[in-house]
Amino acid sequence: MKSRRTAVTGTSSFLGSSLLRRLAERLGPDRVVAVDVTAPPARLGVRRRDVDLAQPGADQRLLEVFREEDVGAVFHAAFFTSPRRDAGYAHELESIGTLSLFAAAAAAGVEHVVLRSFTALYGASGQNPAFLTEDRPLQPDPSLAWARDKLEAEQHAASFARRYPDMKVTVLRFAPLLGPRVRTFYTEIFDRRVVPVLMGYDPLLQLLHPDDAVAASEAALDKAPRGPINVVPKAPIPLLTAVHLAEKIPAPVPHSVAYVVGDLLWAAGLVGAPGTFAHYARFGFVADGERAQRELGFAPRHSSRDAVLAYLSYRRLRTAASRTEAPA
Amino acid sequence: MTLETLARLWSGFYFAWHSEEVDEFGYDPRFTETVLPFFELLYTVWWRVEASGIENVPRKGPALVVANHSGVLPWDGIMINLAVRHEHPGRRSCRMLALDMFALLPFLAPLLAQCGAVRANPENAERLLRKGELVGVFPEGVKGVGKRFKDRYKLARFGRGGFIRIALRTGAPIVPCAVVGAEEIHPALARMDWVGKPLGLPYVPITPTFPLLGPLGFLPLPSKWSIEMGEPIAMDAYGPDAAEDPMLVNRLSEQVRGTIQGMVDARLASRRSVWLG
Repeated sequence: MKSRRTAVTGTSSFLGSSLLRRLAERLGPDRVVAVDVTAPPARLGVRRRDVDLAQPGADQRLLEVFREEDVGAVFHAAFFTSPRRDAGYAHELESIGTLSLFAAAAAAGVEHVVLRSFTALYGASGQNPAFLTEDRPLQPDPSLAWARDKLEAEQHAASFARRYPDMKVTVLRFAPLLGPRVRTFYTEIFDRRVVPVLMGYDPLLQLLHPDDAVAASEAALDKAPRGPINVVPKAPIPLLTAVHLAEKIPAPVPHSVAYVVGDLLWAAGLVGAPGTFAHYARFGFVADGERAQRELGFAPRHSSRDAVLAYLSYRRLRTAASRTEAPA
Repeated sequence: MTLETLARLWSGFYFAWHSEEVDEFGYDPRFTETVLPFFELLYTVWWRVEASGIENVPRKGPALVVANHSGVLPWDGIMINLAVRHEHPGRRSCRMLALDMFALLPFLAPLLAQCGAVRANPENAERLLRKGELVGVFPEGVKGVGKRFKDRYKLARFGRGGFIRIALRTGAPIVPCAVVGAEEIHPALARMDWVGKPLGLPYVPITPTFPLLGPLGFLPLPSKWSIEMGEPIAMDAYGPDAAEDPMLVNRLSEQVRGTIQGMVDARLASRRSVWLG
């Protein structure tokens, strides 16, 4: 019996594209379906279906795709890592899009769905224990649309998992990614010399190397465990240590000012995230990786420090390359 | 280009007294080594700490050091840690559990974490004990450290027995610890808590030197200290399920409180002078 195909949504996202490449190598291009509005690189040779999850009727389109392609497993990675100015579109894609995806998957008899989620959904708070486990309630700042849509996506996942016990639903809560080729609103911080930090705060951060993120995603597709699982690096790193490793000059800002000025700068289009994101530079949201070890057999190979160093050496190479490539 | 040089120098300066890697709770060995001489000075010269019974701390494996809390600022935690570091044959280090008011305070919070303190909550304590660490806790909490001078050396209620539940769940023995001398370092004659409300501080004491002498008022008075560790109380005989028995938890909690109160009273009875011991 030939095994059913694996579909990946959001293949133009960093994680989606990395996983697609790996699956194409491992399963063969014909066994993998890319679902995205943007086509993946043609040289991968994978099957491709153009579905816009943000459009009404996406569930019908997806149902057709899942049936026609005989999809047995879906990795749902159509999420924005960085906050969006068009919050309406982000809501349609992330919350409603996930609802459509689960509806179609359940109707098509898909056996396993993996939802890409974020440890940031636990919320950064002084009340957090040093290690957040998966049973911790998700309490992101309610005013943060970026987190709200993703929280709703998790709620849809939990609700479908309850109503369709035959469909296995895995939720992977990834720590923020940092490494070669990762581009998000906070990698832009590394483009500057002077980095704003919050005066008197130095939380521990978890920064996940992309190789570990892909390895955990693969393991999740193989093992198909149920429920949420944190995917985190080996060791966290204090924010200021990361800033100094990158040889940046920290500019301490009082937190009361940071929230207000951050919102103003966001409104003016000068920074990549609204002021509420200052929470994540003020308090920790370090998650526990024990469950991933137990249920996925996944042990991260890189620490947060490795991720920072990998990103820095990649940046140095890229800058050097752009210098040599520039016409004389 | 100059900015780049400055950034490089700054980074070099930072890593001269910070480690590049910290443990999972943020403990930074190099930073601790940097500030240690200052604390040692307080330990040996300022407070002339007399440590006894340190051999009651197990040589290895998890244990919970339970102490009375006093002194407005968490100096007693730092001194207990030093007493163990200095006098214990196994050269153990004691991870102190810090109250939220300290562990969340800007500026103080990162310092405490880098010195090895951990925010006091059951998850953190249990995780440390399961790793076999020595953990220090002040079950009186804010009620202990913020008490008035007239209430000195009267141990406040031991929270809701959370430390007992953790010891029962992990089977870690409890080592009672009595600190005498710390009540006199910032004698709180009265309190003006309303001042600290906007800053999120739970109490603001009026001491003979604070706020009268301004920043100098933060300087603790040079009383003579003693830190005494009592015999360990075994907790593994009850089994982990005993943590769900509230009557037993309260009884054990009161028993530990009584033991420490007794140790404090005995020491006070033999003390002739606050300043000379």
